[in-house]
Amino acid sequence: METYQIYSLASAVIFAVGLAGIFTTRLFFKKIIATKIMGGGVFLCFVSFAERDALAFADPVPHAMVITGIVVAVSAAAFALALARRIQQLTGQETFPVEEE
Amino acid sequence: MSLWIDSLLAVLAVFLAVRCLLAPTLPQCVFLFFAFGLTLALAWARLGAVDVAIAEAAIAAGFLGVLLIDALRDFSRSRSTGEGGDRPSRVSQGLVGAGVLVFLVVAIEAVWRVPNGGGLTALAADNLPQSGVDHPVTAVLLNYRSYDTWLEVGVVLMALLALFATGGREYFCRPVVRAVDPLLRQVILLFTPVLFLVGAFLLYLGKTEPGGAFQAAVLWGAGGILLHLGGWPVFASMAPWLRHLLLTAGFGFFLLLGFLFMAGGGALFEYPLAQAGLLILVVETLAALSIAAALTAIFAYFNGMSAESAEPFTPASS
Repeated sequence: METYQIYSLASAVIFAVGLAGIFTTRLFFKKIIATKIMGGGVFLCFVSFAERDALAFADPVPHAMVITGIVVAVSAAAFALALARRIQQLTGQETFPVEEE
Repeated sequence: MSLWIDSLLAVLAVFLAVRCLLAPTLPQCVFLFFAFGLTLALAWARLGAVDVAIAEAAIAAGFLGVLLIDALRDFSRSRSTGEGGDRPSRVSQGLVGAGVLVFLVVAIEAVWRVPNGGGLTALAADNLPQSGVDHPVTAVLLNYRSYDTWLEVGVVLMALLALFATGGREYFCRPVVRAVDPLLRQVILLFTPVLFLVGAFLLYLGKTEPGGAFQAAVLWGAGGILLHLGGWPVFASMAPWLRHLLLTAGFGFFLLLGFLFMAGGGALFEYPLAQAGLLILVVETLAALSIAAALTAIFAYFNGMSAESAEPFTPASS
């Protein structure tokens, strides 16, 4: 088993863990963290394939895309957090409203 | 031996992700997320992606962690014990569990069988002498795929504007003095030039070694955040024209450069061979300044968002 295979398998598991996290929590705050964990899985997958395609150095294109992706993901998460805080301040809600059955 | 380290790191990352989502309180969740991010950074260092490791540790774990902790001031007050009683019903939990399991199998199958296309390593290595820099990742970021980097600087700026749209500008113009502790203020003053120098070093190092604009931007942004927390809201109290110039310099210069190249008959971001190294350094410096300014502004906005910060600003006494 190659090194990159360990991490690409882990990346699939991390992505699924984040996905499960989004569905199982009602808190905005945790949903945002769960999407960040999903993103971590995707980035890990990219970088593990960069290692597979390494010659003298690892494939720099996925590396550059992941660096760009990290900054974009953090910007989006900052915006999501600001929205969540604003909702909390205006309505006192930290979750989506529960539907009565 | 090395296979053991990698397996251990992979298991640790998965374990921390699960623990983070199952954590009973939000502060635990945030700190486990920190740990998860740092584990990912270690994994990337193991995979030879040192640039990515620095970016992850600094931006995704560090900067976002600061924002998350700041957001805790709003969220943990009304509910510190996590979900409470309103968990989803057993049926929907079972359905979600089954769906995620099916998805997991599909995802593992997918990553196991990704066809080996050979990647772009050889192409990147062949063109390295023409890129103006010696480090392949910097060459991709600032030369081969400058378009991505240019728009990324724009995305950070967009995030700041979107933040302003959530609550208005008054949050941003509401600086407060938190640290009255003279020792803390002295330590912050001592660290500011160090952070600036290390950032500049990383920026310059990006030409030949792992490092570059984003890593430098985060260090400079960290300096701005520390000064803000220490009672010197440098960015918020800056003259508006200077503030706007700092925020848009990276994006604007990139754009101007692209148009000049096109006017000269080349493609967008097709650097002339002789000046490529120098131009890349200038673009990187301006982009790093803009990103650092935007990160400081995002933090200043977040810090002002909390209801606790509503008291009027009193100038620091020193």
